[in-house]
Amino acid sequence: MTIKGTLKINKSERNRTFIVFTFFGIWMLIIVVFLIKLQVFNYEKYTARIKAQSNRIFKLHPKRGTIYDVHGEILAISVKTKSLFLSNKNKDQSLALFKQLKKKISLTYKKQRDIFKRIKKGRNFIWIKRKLSEREFLRLSKIKKNKDYKSVIDYIEEYKRVYPQRQLASHIVGGVGIDEQGLSGIEYELNSDIIGKGGKVEVLTDAKHRVFDLKYIDKPIPGKDIYLTIDNSVQYFVEKELSRVVKTQNAKGGTVIVMNSETGTILAMASYPFFNPERISKTNKNVIKNKAISFRYDPGSTFKVILAASALENDICYPQQVFNCYNGVYKIRDRTIYDVHPYAKLSFEDIIIYSSNIGAALIGQKIGKRKYYNSIKEFGFGAKSGIKLPGEEKGTLHPLKKWSSVSIAYLSHGYEVIVTPIQMIRSFNVIASGGYLIKPVIIDRISGIQNIDKEKVKIMDRSTLQRISSIMTDVVNIGTGKKTKIAGIDIAGKTGTAKKVKGKKYRKIYVSSFGGFFPAKNPKITMFVVIDEPKNQFYGGDVAAPLFKSIAEKLLIYLRIFPELDEKNEVRI
Amino acid sequence: MNIREWDKKISKKEKNRKSFGPVFVVYILLAFIILFTYSSLNLKNIDYGYKMQELISKTKVLNEEIDKLKAVRANLLNLDRVEKIVTQKLRYQHPKPEQFIKVFEE
Repeated sequence: MTIKGTLKINKSERNRTFIVFTFFGIWMLIIVVFLIKLQVFNYEKYTARIKAQSNRIFKLHPKRGTIYDVHGEILAISVKTKSLFLSNKNKDQSLALFKQLKKKISLTYKKQRDIFKRIKKGRNFIWIKRKLSEREFLRLSKIKKNKDYKSVIDYIEEYKRVYPQRQLASHIVGGVGIDEQGLSGIEYELNSDIIGKGGKVEVLTDAKHRVFDLKYIDKPIPGKDIYLTIDNSVQYFVEKELSRVVKTQNAKGGTVIVMNSETGTILAMASYPFFNPERISKTNKNVIKNKAISFRYDPGSTFKVILAASALENDICYPQQVFNCYNGVYKIRDRTIYDVHPYAKLSFEDIIIYSSNIGAALIGQKIGKRKYYNSIKEFGFGAKSGIKLPGEEKGTLHPLKKWSSVSIAYLSHGYEVIVTPIQMIRSFNVIASGGYLIKPVIIDRISGIQNIDKEKVKIMDRSTLQRISSIMTDVVNIGTGKKTKIAGIDIAGKTGTAKKVKGKKYRKIYVSSFGGFFPAKNPKITMFVVIDEPKNQFYGGDVAAPLFKSIAEKLLIYLRIFPELDEKNEVRI
Repeated sequence: MNIREWDKKISKKEKNRKSFGPVFVVYILLAFIILFTYSSLNLKNIDYGYKMQELISKTKVLNEEIDKLKAVRANLLNLDRVEKIVTQKLRYQHPKPEQFIKVFEE
C-alpha cells in the first residue's frame, strides 16, 4: 500500500512540474525571441529612435574673453542675455502678439516695419530683438506666461558684449558686431584669441526629460582674457583733459599718448572724439579710427628734435655753433622759408629752443640728404611702429631719389614727411629711454602669459642724448614750450605747429603738437599731444603745451613722481 | 530487490527531496539579496548622476551670475560716474595746487 501510494504522488507531481516548466519554457522562449528581434535584427532602428528621444546635440558658443586694464579693471566682458524670437504659425495671432511686444521693448520704427513685413510674408522664424536688456526681459515675462503665446515666442540665450567703462579707451578696446565678431581695436586685432572655439555636446535625458549625462563631442574652448598695459585712471584723466582742450579750442579732434619711457608700454592712448563701443554699428567710421596710430600729418617743428639728434650724432654741429638766420626770411631756390619771430643769428641750441625754421633748414643742409634720410629711418619713420592695434598707418617718407633740391630744407622743419602720433612718441622716447628705439607695447598679458613681444634697438649714443635732452629742457624753461613748465620738475619737450594740406595746398589750418618726457634727468613718462585744427589759437606752445602740462601734473601725483626741492625746501605742483 | 531494500531507496529519495527545499530557498534568497544590493547601488549612482548634472548646471548659472555682477561692479566703479557723484552729489572739489602736501620720509 505504502509503495503504491508513494508512486502515485510522484507521478502526478512530475506531470505538474513538467507542465509548469513547459509553460515557463515557452514563455521564456517567446521573450528571448522578441529580445533577439529587438536587440539584434532591429538594433539600429530602435537605437536611433531612443537617441532621437533622449539624446540631443547642442552647439556650444564659446564665451568671449574679458579685456582688462593693467590693474584688472574690466574694460569689456561678455554676459549671457536672452534673444527673443517668434514662431510664426498663425499670421493673425503673430500680428496681435507683436502689437503687444513692441510696447514692452524698444524697437526702431524701421525694425518694427521689417518684422511686420516678415510676419505678413509668412516667415516661420522671426527675430524680434536680439540681446534684450534685463528690464526688457522682465517686462516680457507676463506675455510669455500667457498660455496662448507660450509656443509662439521663445528665447535663445546669447552672449552680449558689455563695456562698463563706456567710452573709456574706446579706440583701444574697439567693439564687436551683433554676432560678437571683432570690428575694431583689440577686439579685432586679437579676435582669434578672444573669441575661443565653439563645441558640441550630447545631452542625455531620461523619459522625464531630466538630464542625466553630458557627452562632449567637441569641447568648447573659452576665449582668452586680455590684460592691456593701459591704466584705467590715467586713461580717464587723459581723456577728460583732451576733451576739455578740444572743446575750448573748438578743434576738430585730438590725440594723446602716454608711454612708460623705459619699457615703451602705453599707459594711455586717447583719440577725440570718443565713441561708445556698444553702439559701434551706429558710429561714423571716421570716429572709430584710432587717430593715435592712423592720423597722418606733417609734424612741423617737433621734427626738429630728429634733426638735432642727427646733427649731433653725426658730429656735424655742436650746441654753441652759430647760424645766420637771415632776419626771418630765407630764400632757397624758388621757395621762401619764414620764421615766426625774426632772428639775425642763433646758436644751434637756440634754433631748437626758439624753433627757427630757417636755422633748421641750414642745419639740414649741413647734415646732407643721405645722412639725414638715414637718421629719419633709424628713428622709425616711414614704417609701422608694430603696436598690436589694427589700422596703423606708416606715414610717408619719400625715398632719397624723390627728394628735390629743397626737400632737405623742408624736412628739417617737419614738412615733406608725413608721420603719425605713435611714430612721433616712439622717436621722442629714443631720447627718454637712453637711445633705444622701442616697439610700443599695449598688451601686457594674454590669459596670464606675459607678453614677450618686445623689441629694443640702440640707435643713439649717450653723450648725444644728454645734449639733446638739455636743449629740450630749455625749450620748456625758456623757449616755445614755456606753458608746460612745472615747478620742481624738469620737463624736456618740443612744440610743433604745422599747416595742413587741403586740395593739394598748405592752408591756414593747423595741427598743434607737443612731445616730451619727464623728469628730464631720469625720464619715467614720455607723452605726445596732437590737436587737430584748433580754431581759437593754433601754436603748439599755446594749445598742446598747456594740455601736456595739465596731464603731466596729474600724472606726477598719480604716479608719485615728486618734484626736486629748491633752496627754501618748498615746492608746489 | 526485496521490500525492505525498496523502502530504503524510497525513503532516501524522499529525504533528498525534503533537504532540497531549504537549499533552494537559500539560493533564491541569496540571489534576491545580490540583485537588491546591485540595483539599490545602481539606483544611488543614477541619483548621484542627476544630482551632479543639477550641480553642474547650477555652477554654470552661478558663473554667469558672477560675470553679470562683475559687469555691474565695473559699471558702478566707472570713473565718470564716481566723479559725478563726488563733485555733484557730495559737492567735493578738485584740490588746488597749493593744497597738496608731501611728507618727506627721513
